[in-house]
Amino acid sequence: MEAPEDNSQLLKDCSPYVKFAKLDELLALGRANSLWPLTFGLACCAIEMMAAGASRFDLARFGAEVFRPSPRQADVMIVAGTVNKKMAAAIKTLYDQMPEPKWVIAMGNCAISGGPFVFPGQYAVIEGVDKLFPVDVFIPGCPPRPEALIEGLLKLEEKLTGKRRWPVVKPE
Amino acid sequence: MTEKADFLTGDVAAGQPPRETFVLNLGPQHPATHGVLRVKMTMDGEYIVRAEPVCGYIHRMQEKMGENRTYAQFLPNTSRIDYLSAMTYTHAFVGAVERAAKIPVPPRAEYIRVITSELNRISSHLVWWGAFLLDLGGFTPLLYAFDDREKILDLLEAITGARLTYCYYRFGGLCNDVDDSFIKGTREFVAHMRPRLKMYRGLVTENIIFRKRLEGIGPISQEMCRKYGATGPVIRGSGVSYDVRRVEPYSAYPEFDFEIPTFPGGDSMARYLVRMEEMVQSLRIIEQALDKLPAGPVMADKVPRVLKLPAGDYCYAVEAARGRFAVRIVSDNKEIPYRVKLRTPSLSNLSLFEEASKGMLLPDALALMGSLDLVIPDIDR
Amino acid sequence: MNPAVPEIPGDSPLKAAQAPAEQAAVTPAVAPWPNPLAHLQIPFRAVDYEVKGYHLEVTVAPGEVVAVATQLDKEGLALDTITGVDWMAEGQMEVVYDYFHLAKPLRVVVRTRIPRDKPEIDTISGVFPGANWHERETHDFFGIKFLGHPDLTPFLLPEDATYHPLRKDFVA
Repeated sequence: MEAPEDNSQLLKDCSPYVKFAKLDELLALGRANSLWPLTFGLACCAIEMMAAGASRFDLARFGAEVFRPSPRQADVMIVAGTVNKKMAAAIKTLYDQMPEPKWVIAMGNCAISGGPFVFPGQYAVIEGVDKLFPVDVFIPGCPPRPEALIEGLLKLEEKLTGKRRWPVVKPE
Repeated sequence: MTEKADFLTGDVAAGQPPRETFVLNLGPQHPATHGVLRVKMTMDGEYIVRAEPVCGYIHRMQEKMGENRTYAQFLPNTSRIDYLSAMTYTHAFVGAVERAAKIPVPPRAEYIRVITSELNRISSHLVWWGAFLLDLGGFTPLLYAFDDREKILDLLEAITGARLTYCYYRFGGLCNDVDDSFIKGTREFVAHMRPRLKMYRGLVTENIIFRKRLEGIGPISQEMCRKYGATGPVIRGSGVSYDVRRVEPYSAYPEFDFEIPTFPGGDSMARYLVRMEEMVQSLRIIEQALDKLPAGPVMADKVPRVLKLPAGDYCYAVEAARGRFAVRIVSDNKEIPYRVKLRTPSLSNLSLFEEASKGMLLPDALALMGSLDLVIPDIDR
Repeated sequence: MNPAVPEIPGDSPLKAAQAPAEQAAVTPAVAPWPNPLAHLQIPFRAVDYEVKGYHLEVTVAPGEVVAVATQLDKEGLALDTITGVDWMAEGQMEVVYDYFHLAKPLRVVVRTRIPRDKPEIDTISGVFPGANWHERETHDFFGIKFLGHPDLTPFLLPEDATYHPLRKDFVA
């Protein structure tokens, strides 16, 4: 039997049923829609992280509600609070224990830059977790509102897939 | 059971020296420690030989910052010590400065301070309630608790501008007055919350599994509370009616009729019941304060822009959601305090954990730890 | 232990299980005079509570703190906190012990001063086990050595910390 010289007609015929895409994009879509954060509360921001996961804000709408207590099962670390020098070694270990691919969200001013706890002569606080490991999304606020955390997760999704899934809400 | 497996049954619980122990490290990243507490546990099977809390993983130099900033600049820091009851913490700092500088506070401001502090107490207890039950293995109550808590946060956000770390009190009063919508909303909230607390009782408190998990677990005696300086719901759950609002009344609290809920059991259930009953009493205080809310200004006249306290030391204690919070300011008559000491309730409440958890089963010790209601930055400051 | 959980009847089942204790009679908030600790042979000074926030204060010699703590313990007072103040200009360290009474409005402050170049004082953790952590913290912050303390390792500072940040001559 002779092979068809051109299979473009065949592709056209089955296009309603079969979609072709790059595997990377498919994986990115899957990852973006089921981010598993590490249950890792440090300070005030952790309460807003809890609020984001609870009834009113319901992080489950965006597929990111499966907070894992073990770093081995998590793929996004939300650093919610102040990191000090005593904690820095532990948090770095946690980051190293997370399997690739992994992302980091620095939630709140403390995680971004040390926030209100930076002054000349300070002896304890790490001035920003980006000094410890790479950070993908920064969410400012002291503490940021749960909406801000959700927006941060959407930004991370955007970073993964290259396009935004939800419309941007502009303040009036 | 074979001879070899005997150590699993707990020599320590039986009063014998353990034959074989191992060390279990809990935290600093562990969901049951509510933050970054670390507990080094020496275990005899499932039983605890020694549980030694290791603190300092969120030490944020609050006391050093007190010596580096003016009084007004340090005020927002106080709401970040125990972020769940920020109102009462700012109240203590503001109170100490007002006491030293002899700034009179208008009655309306004192009443609004009481209302907001009590709302904050309820929201703090709701977070504890949800998180405590999460520790015990029930996820659903958290969703109920946060639902009601958001109502409080909406009310407080409208007047303070913040959801969590309020900086609403000022030296001499408040930064702004409440409006009618706050008063109406708070009345609606009180009416809404009463039946909800009844529902919580039916949903959780009367649950037989829940009660078996807590009753008789983690007994803390009155004597132990006194020796360690434990306060708040911990000491009231041991049958001592100690409440700063009653023993050293401050603000407008003497003008209200409320009870200090006290349960004699000393176990985790007693501490649980104290907090549940406290929410009822807080609602009572809020209702009375709304009824009697006086008119007038909310800020004292002529509060100096640059505060300099006369040399000496000044204390102010409040009843925060976790117990007695006291501020000590040592002044040397400069714009910046010479020393700020923050006496936080969680530190004293946790310090008895090592003694109280001896010989307990590990899951029971976590129930005990949850019933102490710890906020870790409150310990480490 | 509570072997038999009682049946749950009607409206207030917990009344039966755990009736609230009798409300202890609490003295109204007047200054606690006559001085309830007058019989103790400790030279207390009365302080205006409305200005200072405590009722009694006393300055003792460094060697007497344990004896004072023992007497206050017998009177039923609880330990509030222990802290230090660094009076660098005077070459002294002040150690401040706060006590409070569980039923009466009574706050007692015990002070003592020790030389700054040899900051050593006896521990009171034998009297109040709760003093253990307060003394460790004071050692962290000021380098005050509490003689006889079971474990003076760093408490809030990192395990290897050798600095004492709340000393006035501390440089980070």
